[in-house]
Amino acid sequence: MRLLPRLIGILVAAFIAAPLLIVVPMSFSTAPSLEFPPPGYWLGYYAAYFTDERWTQPTVNSLVIAFGTMLLTMLLVTPATFAVVRHRFLGRGIANLMLTMPMAMPHIVLAIGYYSYLGDLRLTQTHAGVIIAHTALSVPVAFLILSANLKGFDRNLERAAMSLGATPLRTFWHVTLPVLRPGFAISALFAFIQSFDETVVALFISGRESETLPRKMFESIRVQADPVISVVSTLLFAAVVLVVLMPVLWKAARKRRSPTGPSAVARDAAGANAGTAPSDINPCAPSRVQLEA
Amino acid sequence: MISTTVRGASKPWLLLLPLVLFLSAFFLVPLVQVAMMSVTEPEPGFGNYAHLAEDALYLQVFLNTFLTALGVAVCCLLLGYPLAYLMAQSSPRVAALLMLLVTMSFWTSFLVRTYAWMVLLGNNGPVTALLALLGWDPAPHLLFTRFSSTLAMVHILIPYMVMSLYSVMKRIDPALLRAAESLGAKPWSVFRQVYLPLSAPGMVNGATLVFMICLGFYVTPVLLGSPQEQMVAGLIGTQIEEFLDFGQASAMAMVLLASTLVVLTVYHRRFGLDRLWG
Repeated sequence: MRLLPRLIGILVAAFIAAPLLIVVPMSFSTAPSLEFPPPGYWLGYYAAYFTDERWTQPTVNSLVIAFGTMLLTMLLVTPATFAVVRHRFLGRGIANLMLTMPMAMPHIVLAIGYYSYLGDLRLTQTHAGVIIAHTALSVPVAFLILSANLKGFDRNLERAAMSLGATPLRTFWHVTLPVLRPGFAISALFAFIQSFDETVVALFISGRESETLPRKMFESIRVQADPVISVVSTLLFAAVVLVVLMPVLWKAARKRRSPTGPSAVARDAAGANAGTAPSDINPCAPSRVQLEA
Repeated sequence: MISTTVRGASKPWLLLLPLVLFLSAFFLVPLVQVAMMSVTEPEPGFGNYAHLAEDALYLQVFLNTFLTALGVAVCCLLLGYPLAYLMAQSSPRVAALLMLLVTMSFWTSFLVRTYAWMVLLGNNGPVTALLALLGWDPAPHLLFTRFSSTLAMVHILIPYMVMSLYSVMKRIDPALLRAAESLGAKPWSVFRQVYLPLSAPGMVNGATLVFMICLGFYVTPVLLGSPQEQMVAGLIGTQIEEFLDFGQASAMAMVLLASTLVVLTVYHRRFGLDRLWG
């Protein structure tokens, strides 16, 4: 490979990395407004973030809403995915389309719809309203991930369990569910993040009572670029780094300790049982492709 | 016999029922409501759409949005291609490292990345300082212009492009390139006549995704763009927040939705939709 294309590639990588890294020093800056390089360093804005109710309340709201969205999404999507993947029936194509359609919608379009519709139902400015809207938006991602996992599931495992006398419910609980656990975990994680990051719909419907963190961030960037925003940005970026690096670190740790440790055999056995750990799954795989911008 | 067929046919629908009901009530109905508002607010008829077609301001905004989305897609392609190429040609370790970087950017909230560009391009930011150092003094005002919002959108959407390209490039058989070389092709023509066509599906996928997301982009253009040169989504927001003009906003939303669906349909006809999200 020649030098020039390689050089351009490296420059593009730097272009991607630089803005991500700049928020970290900004969060320790003493400057009350945007200024780089920072004139001095302190932890004052971290203290401000963790003690100011105008920031902690939206954070708590966002966590509650994301958790609720995750639960509701998984409750609705799990049976639907089994239906679509395992059965051939009239209307399957339409069901498939309906389950993936929210993905293709620009969020601003739905934001208007929810603003007026949830307003009619008196659900704007409530946690329930935001959870409902976010669940509709999270369904496609959760469905796509779960159905990809379910398609790869070897049904002979279930047949074996049933032939040994297990009832369908027992089979599901003791065979199907444990095997699909990584798929469920990733699917639920995507639903959680989808909700936690969603800005546009939350901007229009969450109001003061159930204000989410992205809404608070949006407002504070728009109005005056509150320096606390850099603290929140750094914490969010750190969380992403942690989640993305987790599979890598996990793998590295397992590789390092298994050959040497005193009870390597036992650990290997444990490792084999956890064979389908999340480390095998690329965290970015089926994308959070939504027109969420 | 009959009972099993009946059970066989109704079971999938029973499993689907909760989700279908939920999406009907909380996805389809709100969407239909937007369509209804566009023809009933403030009075029944197609006045809102007529207004859209007549007023030069709206046409300008739509044109502006399309050109911006096109520009962002082209920039993402031009910048994303060398990076994806570098990843595809590097050792697995380097490729994994670069993928990690792209993944981190991908997962970082749009708001965080938008804020980062505000710091970078601000009046007291490093880019302005650099320009001043290079003799461009007084440095131009970079924030809240078309330039700043376009640049930030390219940065935010480039991971989609790199992932689309890389997933296609890593499946290109290196033997094909060696074959072309052994038949006497120069490196440039190997690239142009073999590699480039083979990577075309990734280019189309990435460009379609970026273009579509950009068409409806709200956050970044509103926070970083020029208030005088809004994009469609931003103007829809303004119509609601400032003028409470639901009719006009809904009509614009329907046009935006239709444009997105046209892009999707064209893509589907040519390539099949199921490949796009993969």
